[in-house]
Amino acid sequence: MTTPTLSPLDRSLAALLDEAGFTRAEPPLLMAADLVRDLAGEALARRLYLTTDADGAELCLRPDYTIPVVKAHLEGPRAREAAAYSYLGPVFRHRQGMAGEFLQGGIEWLGRADREAAEADVIAIAMKVARLYVQGPLKLALGDVGIFLGLTQALDLSPAWRRRLAKDFRRSGMLADDLKRLAEPSGGPIHSGLLAALQGSDPQAARDLVTDLLSIAGISTVGGRSAGDIAERLLEQAALGSGGLAPDKAAVIERVLAIDADPLTAEAELRAIAAEANLDMGAALDRLAHRHALLEKAGVNLGAARFSTRFGRDVDYYTGLVFEIHDGTGTVDKPLIGGGRYDRLTEMMTAKLGLDLAVPAVGCGIWVERLALAGGRA
Amino acid sequence: MTLVFAIPSKGRILESAQGFLERSGLKPVQGRGARDYRGTIPGLAHVEVAFLSASDIAKELAAGSVHLGLTGLDLMHEATPEPEDRLVSLTPLGFSRADVVVAVPQAWIDVSTMADLDDVASQYRARHRSRMRVATKYLNLTRSFFDRHGIADYRIVESAGATEGSPAAGAAEMIVDITTTGATLSANALKVLDDGVIMKSEAHLVASRTAAWSERARDSARDMLDRIASQARARKVKEVRTRFTAADAGLVEEAKSRFGVEAPFGGPTSSGMLTLHCPPTQLFGLSRYLRDRGADSVSVTELDYVFSRDNPLYETLAAALG
Repeated sequence: MTTPTLSPLDRSLAALLDEAGFTRAEPPLLMAADLVRDLAGEALARRLYLTTDADGAELCLRPDYTIPVVKAHLEGPRAREAAAYSYLGPVFRHRQGMAGEFLQGGIEWLGRADREAAEADVIAIAMKVARLYVQGPLKLALGDVGIFLGLTQALDLSPAWRRRLAKDFRRSGMLADDLKRLAEPSGGPIHSGLLAALQGSDPQAARDLVTDLLSIAGISTVGGRSAGDIAERLLEQAALGSGGLAPDKAAVIERVLAIDADPLTAEAELRAIAAEANLDMGAALDRLAHRHALLEKAGVNLGAARFSTRFGRDVDYYTGLVFEIHDGTGTVDKPLIGGGRYDRLTEMMTAKLGLDLAVPAVGCGIWVERLALAGGRA
Repeated sequence: MTLVFAIPSKGRILESAQGFLERSGLKPVQGRGARDYRGTIPGLAHVEVAFLSASDIAKELAAGSVHLGLTGLDLMHEATPEPEDRLVSLTPLGFSRADVVVAVPQAWIDVSTMADLDDVASQYRARHRSRMRVATKYLNLTRSFFDRHGIADYRIVESAGATEGSPAAGAAEMIVDITTTGATLSANALKVLDDGVIMKSEAHLVASRTAAWSERARDSARDMLDRIASQARARKVKEVRTRFTAADAGLVEEAKSRFGVEAPFGGPTSSGMLTLHCPPTQLFGLSRYLRDRGADSVSVTELDYVFSRDNPLYETLAAALG
């Protein structure tokens, strides 16, 4: 196994990002493994190359750039300002049957309040980058996690169901089961008698009762959940009752999730469904329309792109836009470039660092080896 | 090229493993005193015995530096993310039984299933802006089980020992650990989720698929597995012997269908000598039947080995090695 080196094209990529005004980030190769486990979860943690320092602290070789780049920005003196970073270098992940060390490029736009403009910028640059390598057809796939989250809000679902749908939306295959279950009345939850008794009672009084019961048993905060947390969820379960989702609501979800068209058609279909079902999704749809207008202005051909409401990415910190650029000839199966809005990652990181700061973030990873392959240069 | 056979040097599994090896005629002789970690087995010149912890045995099997070993099913799955590709279980051994389970604080009265846990994990993350922590030494088992239940909002905190104390110590919210009676979990105010049994584990005889299997190593394995299978066969039956003139082929057929006996050496001799192998539960019924049919006396003995032409454990190994 040899260390991957930059090709002349990779160097042109670095120059392109440099000219576009991105600051080249060079985070250390070694980082705290804890940070990855906390932020990206076990899906990525299981692929880490791990080691320990003399004090026993667990370190890993960086599995991607996003986490260390965002961390360095938030810990720096300009954490409150907008910043654009680029990177290009080796990252390390266990990959079955493939080299564990490979090159990754990418860009991150942090702290920009003009969200849709930042998103359009990232996609426009990403298309330019792909063109640098690939002369043949490219496919742009778009989605927006925010649309689905907005829908669950507008449908007035219980918090438990909202949480669950939001989570399963990000995991392929689980949503269909959920929808089936939503449509059917559920079997009674645990302690159904107690829950039935609590249903409809004054929330504060019910909460106090459960908290009292737990404290009689000598239980305060166990395993990171307070008696209040436990009481609250019990009450949520009570509110859930045994009824399923009204069939008309389930039908609306199905219809929204069936949308898969060019972005402007998809936008029109979403508006039509929202109007017909009397859903308040105006804000989410206006943002979508604004982004589409900006993309067209930036010269991205929307007619050749595809927008799918089901498209969620398997990294669970995306909160809005998601996109992937694919090889149109199908030579390379996996995405050449992929990214989106990941406010949830910066939110977790500021919480971890103890910063009272909201940092909007959008960016993408560039798989330079796949690009070279798709461009017939590998 | 010798065959390396790894057996547990310590822990819960040790005593049962020793008993098993002794019964199977594979009792190792430790070289130069008790502190030597290598040994031999009398009568098997090309077998080297390595004394290791059960978890190291699983790791060495996966790495291919050990050919055969005694280890737990749980540890097999922990030693490598792809146990099927690297290891093959030749037979479960029936001892060191324990369950790998998901356990949460008893105070979580709103949580009794994995689906509840899934919901609580999402809620926890939304509220604390961090992931719920699971203390465990079972990284692979935890990840694949949580994956199967669609739980993503968690992270693992690796714990080498006293895992059950982690929630009380504030090091984790919940645990995945091994339990036999559940008493330790209860003592730590933890409860197992209704559908939270990840694996029912026990000791297995395991072979490495990645070790260098020379002809000589295969020959040694064939001998060892023959002893083990013969011993296992012997444990399933008692030997029943009798002699009476009325004993004939028809009587043997009836005994076979009524008591599930086998006649390993064929029907009665001309003088009516008969040897049967009988499942222990049928023993008294059979002896009554034989006396009713004319036997004056019936003797029953334990068997050490029943060798047979076929060698099923070796066939499993050979099939796995290809």
